[in-house]
Amino acid sequence: MTDFLIGLFLATLITALFTTRLYRLLLWYSLNSLTLGILAIELGSRLDDRGMILSGTITLIVKAVGIPFFLKRLSQHLGLVRQITPNIRIQYAIILIPAILVFTFYLAEPISHMVEGNANYVAVSISSLFLALLLMMEHRNIAPKIIGFLSMENALFLLGTTATGGMPMLVELGIFFDLLMAIVVINLLLRNEEVTS
Amino acid sequence: MMLLLLLLPAAIMFVASFFLHPMARRLLPLSSFAILIPIVELFRLPKPYPLWGHALIADDLNTYILLVSSIVGIGVTLALMTLDKHVNVTPKAIRSFYRFFALFWIGLTVSILANHMGIFWIGLEMATLSTVYMIKTSRQPAARKEAWNYMIVGAIAISLVLFGIILIYASAKPVLGEDAMYFDALRLHARSIPSPYLFEMGFAIATMGMFVKMGFFPMNLWLANIERAAFYPIAALFSGILESAVIAGFFRFSRIAEVINRSHLLGYVFVYALVTIFIVAFLIYRAKDFVRLFSLSGVEHMALIALFWVSGGTFAALLHFGAHAFLKPALFLSTGVLESRGRYHISGALRGYGGVRGTLFYYLVTLFLLAIISLPPSPMFFSEIYGFGAMIDMAEQSHHLLAMIGAILLLLILLSVIFYRFVSLYQSMKYEGEVEPKRVYASEVAALSLFALGLVALLLPASMTFLRSIG
Repeated sequence: MTDFLIGLFLATLITALFTTRLYRLLLWYSLNSLTLGILAIELGSRLDDRGMILSGTITLIVKAVGIPFFLKRLSQHLGLVRQITPNIRIQYAIILIPAILVFTFYLAEPISHMVEGNANYVAVSISSLFLALLLMMEHRNIAPKIIGFLSMENALFLLGTTATGGMPMLVELGIFFDLLMAIVVINLLLRNEEVTS
Repeated sequence: MMLLLLLLPAAIMFVASFFLHPMARRLLPLSSFAILIPIVELFRLPKPYPLWGHALIADDLNTYILLVSSIVGIGVTLALMTLDKHVNVTPKAIRSFYRFFALFWIGLTVSILANHMGIFWIGLEMATLSTVYMIKTSRQPAARKEAWNYMIVGAIAISLVLFGIILIYASAKPVLGEDAMYFDALRLHARSIPSPYLFEMGFAIATMGMFVKMGFFPMNLWLANIERAAFYPIAALFSGILESAVIAGFFRFSRIAEVINRSHLLGYVFVYALVTIFIVAFLIYRAKDFVRLFSLSGVEHMALIALFWVSGGTFAALLHFGAHAFLKPALFLSTGVLESRGRYHISGALRGYGGVRGTLFYYLVTLFLLAIISLPPSPMFFSEIYGFGAMIDMAEQSHHLLAMIGAILLLLILLSVIFYRFVSLYQSMKYEGEVEPKRVYASEVAALSLFALGLVALLLPASMTFLRSIG
């Protein structure tokens, strides 16, 4: 089940990199967060870690539902451009993304015996981080950059969950608080932004 | 209780920002001064003093950093009183600025006092996000662009820090459990960490995030561009408070890394800092406006502090840190007046100041400009002498004396390039250009005088003794 969810997490992120429509990108982000939330709940149940179950539930509510819904409403309200063509052409992205995956698995190889649990999960987390960075870089529009930022946060959450067996609850809650503050700041920035962006 | 008192001035500012009457702005510097009361009390209390369980503690190091950054905060609130006299800003934007300044201050106070890696990160992230909107208060298109740049690059930097923290936590969790989040526990049990490679990888990534945040290689210009586009008090906040919190984190992380493998720590920081100073020296040589010049000079000083710290020159690093934290915000705040004729009018910028306030401003800016290039008796002169001494001492013990002498010679050549640029700038400001009357406000002189007093206080024997006692 964990392998399936992590695979799905990576797959939704990769698909988001090829998306050319804003609402579809929000959907992929939502699915990405959904798999992350279910994964945290599943791991938490297996490890009997209530904190991780709570984090997973908050992830489902805030990231899988709340943030995509809010961003969609905001983009409708501000009339943001919905056509978001990546700067990197699809034929190059098809080569680049597997290269990133291979590179991160190679990078994570020396630490494979040092982490608790499956080392491949760490490699997937690191590759997700790089892919989220790629999402931020490959778009000129602001909305996909925001999704890239949020996906990067998801990748870090995955790393925290898989590499350490869950971060302390205080840190998880703090990260959620910061995420909400990020949304407030993004909202304020977008409201003053040219709607043509 | 003590923690509440430390956060109170920022909380007052946050609440006041919702209904800030122009006259009420004059009261905020007074409420900001109130932060000094709990800090002075902290100096008297036995250390480490728990402020919030074990997660936030006051020890000698962070109490000193908190004092320095709080003085900067007070100085900026003083200078903010006349922000609208120098730049085009609406009352609503000023209120927003104060609101996010308060959040920024709270975030960084928490970050400086954190003994918990997670809380350190949360405070830093909170400050980063609040800065984004502070940059945006300027309605210039460049500020809008740079606010987004800051959001993106800042997010990448801060994510690198969290990434590193997670790896460090993963490396130590098998022996320490959830205590692996605490700096002091990590340092105490550093030798028993089962996977030092994982720790070092985490340290390298977290440090890279912190260095990017301070404008180190390869992101040398991003901070300068942001500070140029934003209102000048933001640059003062960056150099005086944000960088203080970031370097405090570096101090704590490097103390643990030192126990695990000192030679790896030295190699990593030396290469990173030397490459940074090499690039920055030439960027300073080519800088054509005050803000970029001061910003790049700030990067150079932070790199020197990192070098002195890892070389074992704790006293030198802390003295340099204190001097930089007072000098750089003072110079940034003075740009509001110095650039009254435009951004690129350096020649004659120090001419045309009449009256008591003007004359005082002239002397203070002269003092700061000469102090930043380490002319004696600037604290930076002493810190560099002690810092280079610490580097030599360390090299003698490690049998790498020749390499260290080479590194110091390279540093001296690069510092002389910066010295030359600043002297030429000072001469141009003083002797060239036309004399045009310029206006200086009392609050600005008060802010600069506060920083000058802080600088002088660093040279007092009691301050030196205290800095030497920080291990």
